[in-house]
Amino acid sequence: MPDPLLLVEDLAVAYDGAVQALRGVALRVDPGSVVAVLGSNGAGKTTLLRAISRSLGDVGGSVTAGRISFAGQDLARRDASWAVRAGLVQVPEGRRIFRDLTVEENLRAGGYTVRDARARREATDRVLDLFPILAERSHQRGGLLSGGQQQMLAMGRALMASPKLLLLDEPSLGLAPQLVEQIGDIIEQIHAQGTSVLLIEQNAAMGLRVADRAYVLEVGAVTAEGASAELAGTDDIRNRYLGVSTTSPTRTTHEDAPVDVPVHLQRTSGARAERLRVEDVTVRFGGITALSGVSFTIEPGTIHALIGPNGAGKSTCINVLGGAYRATSGTVHYGDAEVTALPSHRIADLGVARTFQNISLSLEATVEDNLLVGRHRVMRTGASAQTLRLPHARKEERTERTAVRRIASLLGIEQLLGRAVHTLSYGDRKRVEMGRALAAEPTLLLLDEPVAGMTHGESQVMADVIRAAQQELGLSILLVEHDMPFVMGLAEQITVLDFGKRIAEGPPDHVQRDPEVLRAYLGSAAA
Amino acid sequence: MTYFLTQLANGLSYGLILGLIAVGFVIVFTSTGVLNFAHGSVLLTGAYLVAILHDPIGFWPAVVVGILGAALLGVLINAVLVRNLAEPNPGTAAILMLGVDILLLTELTRRIGNRVLPIGAPWGADVIAIGGVTLPTSRAIAAGVAVVVFALLWYLFARTDTGVAMRAAAADGDTASLMGIRLSRTGATGWALAGALAAIAGVLLASFPAPGVAPTLAISAFAAIPAWVLGGFDSVVGAIVGGLIIGVVTALAVGYEAELHVLGRGLGEVVPYAVMIIVLLVRPSGLFGRKEAVRV
Amino acid sequence: MSDLLRRLPAIVGLVVALALPLLFNDFWLQTGLFAMAAVVGAIGLTLLVGVAGQLSLGHAFFAALGAYTYAWTVGEVGDRAAGLGLPAVLGIVLAGVVAAAAGALFSPISGRLRGIYLGLATVGLVFLARHLMVNLEAYTGGFNGRTVEPFSVPGFSFSNSDPDFLAVAGVEFGGLHRLWYLFLVVVLLAAWLGRNVKASRTGRALANVRDSEAAAAAMGIRVARAKATAFVISSAYAGVAGALMALAYGRIAPDLFGLQLSIDFLVMIVLGGLGSIAGAAAGAVFVVTLPLVLAQYSSELPFLATPGSGGLDAATLARLLYGAAILAVLLFLRGGLAGAARRLRHRRPPRDTGEPPPVAAPTAPTATPEPSLSHPSVPTRSKETTP
Repeated sequence: MPDPLLLVEDLAVAYDGAVQALRGVALRVDPGSVVAVLGSNGAGKTTLLRAISRSLGDVGGSVTAGRISFAGQDLARRDASWAVRAGLVQVPEGRRIFRDLTVEENLRAGGYTVRDARARREATDRVLDLFPILAERSHQRGGLLSGGQQQMLAMGRALMASPKLLLLDEPSLGLAPQLVEQIGDIIEQIHAQGTSVLLIEQNAAMGLRVADRAYVLEVGAVTAEGASAELAGTDDIRNRYLGVSTTSPTRTTHEDAPVDVPVHLQRTSGARAERLRVEDVTVRFGGITALSGVSFTIEPGTIHALIGPNGAGKSTCINVLGGAYRATSGTVHYGDAEVTALPSHRIADLGVARTFQNISLSLEATVEDNLLVGRHRVMRTGASAQTLRLPHARKEERTERTAVRRIASLLGIEQLLGRAVHTLSYGDRKRVEMGRALAAEPTLLLLDEPVAGMTHGESQVMADVIRAAQQELGLSILLVEHDMPFVMGLAEQITVLDFGKRIAEGPPDHVQRDPEVLRAYLGSAAA
Repeated sequence: MTYFLTQLANGLSYGLILGLIAVGFVIVFTSTGVLNFAHGSVLLTGAYLVAILHDPIGFWPAVVVGILGAALLGVLINAVLVRNLAEPNPGTAAILMLGVDILLLTELTRRIGNRVLPIGAPWGADVIAIGGVTLPTSRAIAAGVAVVVFALLWYLFARTDTGVAMRAAAADGDTASLMGIRLSRTGATGWALAGALAAIAGVLLASFPAPGVAPTLAISAFAAIPAWVLGGFDSVVGAIVGGLIIGVVTALAVGYEAELHVLGRGLGEVVPYAVMIIVLLVRPSGLFGRKEAVRV
Repeated sequence: MSDLLRRLPAIVGLVVALALPLLFNDFWLQTGLFAMAAVVGAIGLTLLVGVAGQLSLGHAFFAALGAYTYAWTVGEVGDRAAGLGLPAVLGIVLAGVVAAAAGALFSPISGRLRGIYLGLATVGLVFLARHLMVNLEAYTGGFNGRTVEPFSVPGFSFSNSDPDFLAVAGVEFGGLHRLWYLFLVVVLLAAWLGRNVKASRTGRALANVRDSEAAAAAMGIRVARAKATAFVISSAYAGVAGALMALAYGRIAPDLFGLQLSIDFLVMIVLGGLGSIAGAAAGAVFVVTLPLVLAQYSSELPFLATPGSGGLDAATLARLLYGAAILAVLLFLRGGLAGAARRLRHRRPPRDTGEPPPVAAPTAPTATPEPSLSHPSVPTRSKETTP
């Protein structure tokens, strides 16, 4: 066996000293190979890449155990700049091109570490050879390029440093099928020119196609590895991405799941769930179309899931429903109210509550205070009464604390009420955010990846909580999630998005067999 | 009419000097995220060095020392203090700079005392008159210097590796560091540039019609804050345009104070801020500022 | 028991504050008045900066507004730079109300700008304040300022006259003593209200807006209104602080309300620890007391030169120590004095609460991070293409 180019041993990474993102990860990339790391959102893929490219510190992460070496050199005390000079270059997730710089200037920034003028000219020629479109657009601002061109620019920018090992973070993200194919071809060309590649993908089809060897990362640990061909053949992958599993997604029977939820939630008002109608919604950001003519309806009191590969437009959709993004065209109605015409806080007033993909809690505040923020809309006493601590304000405060305690016990976080959020684990933070949304007594709950980064057991518990809340409060729920067993076990109706378009809709068993869906998730070979 | 043109010419030249200072604010802000409240005392330091050195070593060498000294001071503030903040964020950094400003200004005030130190510029107190429009020679030179400096800045940011790297780092530091660009280095360059610009502006501001270098010179950097905010926080072009607007408006407010007496005395001091507040009411991100992209 | 223990520092502090006037000479009493006036303003500012995450350098404007409102409403009817002759208590209330109203007028800006951007915009207010103070001579007395009517309630003056002689425990109670207790009442009220705001629905909403505007809006919080509200609350505090300053000085002039005052307020809350009311109070006492004490006792410090000699005089030393204190706290003391105090408390072995141990993270932080002006960075970014 040759000496590895990159060797990761027993790696553990934590964020803000509290959230464990990776543990015991081992991985090797041999010279001249392409290695893929597959896994769903929150599995720790980006964290792994950042640990390798020495850019964890920028996002508050740190390596707490293990060792990474590149070409025999320990990376422990090296910074990102050293890594680039040593030939280890990362293309960040979401492309992250410099939008206000021209294409030429973007490439120039990529070649910053190359001091030799001739080497730089050669690198430029190579990049423009690989991506002729970049030569044509050389004086255009990066932000004006289309999504696929931006991905090419991001890759070209990294290749300007002539890396020995190229780290690619989800290059297929949000790209149309033919573009994904094209990016795959380009990766093969880059490989053929002698550059090793470490590829992170959610698109298993793409990852397995171009890689010699693949690792599957789940909740911060490697759960499978092997030659790509072998992995592609296993049911395991198919199962993981589509939830077409032999062990059916259990409703309640799980060792650490509360079989019966003894807590009862009450509404303080008689609000009822209404019908949500999404009609022909299109969202464009500059030159990129994130959603295109999407329509679906959520019947009152049902659980509806929105699924699709990464970059399909799911989060964009939830952000339009919550008012964080404006629809370019189309409408959304909740009951009689036109959601698309309202700002976020007015949508909240309609009884719509949501959680965020990137947990958005007050880190310094206690769990209790975070949950109480959810009661903002429910609380009635005026600010002056509260400031003067008048009797009725104090009474309300006590009532609300009781209500919040009830929600906390439903979620199993009662004992954490007094703790500051920043001391909690990722899974607990997800639960707090869910609690905050429930505290608002919504009639429609938008959940953006409620179990991302959770273990199977944890996500089962969450499924029970969601079901209990839905039944007791008569909620409608819209669920965006990658964990297929979770979605298939919970949702009554599923809408599948791919590249911003709706490609299928129906009950779980129907969607699971839809050839379009299989192709979107596993590539043409699988269908 | 000639009176108006004279006011306008003075306003434009003053505006270009304000632009030099405001660009310094922009560069420090975009390269390290720091709202540099100590910019005024860095400016004063540069001017002070020129004032005490022009006699022993001559004016031009003194200017070189002043520029290098102010640049070095900026680099040191960044390296020793800003980069060692216990909780690095824009808010604490801004307050740190208030502390730095207090220290520098106190020490310089102690050294200068009640004196006004002549800057020793060779152009003295001459005045240029063209068709009745008069402008102090020093201000005409100031305008010329500022234009040359702006041209050099354009070349730096558009044509050199260092400049492109600085713009990349300012746009997205995280990604820039993945390209091997060292943010500590682009930050240091930014502080050095800002310090040099401040020193140049300091020398120009201390020239005729001003009597020389006094501690109050540091306050002139504050006059550039409306120019900076007006331009939009992160835009070099915006800072220059903002400087020109504030310069002209101030000159006209002072020149026509008699006609504007209903608005009260000392209008020149308040007008820049009034313009700033009005612009912010209409455009919260300034004239050239990018609207913050919201990510959810 | 533990409740009592927790309140012990506050109780001791109160007893000391009540007893101090019996021991203090006029210099210390006067210093105490200045400090207490500053405490009120600092509490208001820490609610804005620490809790809501909005920076303001415009506090001098609102303090000036409060001071002149008090002087004008309470001033005697008639002569130059006179007033309305209203009761003094009403004057203090009006000082807060007028400042709050001015803060509300600033809502279009304070509701839209965030963090340090608002800080810069508010610099303009200080210059606006100066312009108004100098030019509205009929109310302000112009450049030279105006005198301030002493505080009084019917039948009891807070000056040295009427009743002519009042003594407690053998100490003569002059105007300064009486003002001390008036100020103490206002400070306690300000702290109590400030704490309530922090712990209320409004306070939680403000903190949520600071940490994530998108999440706050999704919870039904009107983000712009919340930011404007924080600004109005802190303006009201500044207005009352201004009225107290006017009483403490006895004469007010534009120079008292320059940019330096805004900076001083900001420094107070940073030294004390953002968001902490006790910290704001401690910071205010330090910032106000330092220069006065150094000036008072300069003759007894052998290394100090006389002012103007070019050597190190008391005022210069005070400025240098002031600047150095800012640097020291920001570089070495996470969370200011309040943060340090909290860490000291937490260093003691915690009581066993039966809670499960913290998450299995090898480097769990030992102290609570302080509220910061920036928005906490998020480990992962949105997966989808956003602009």
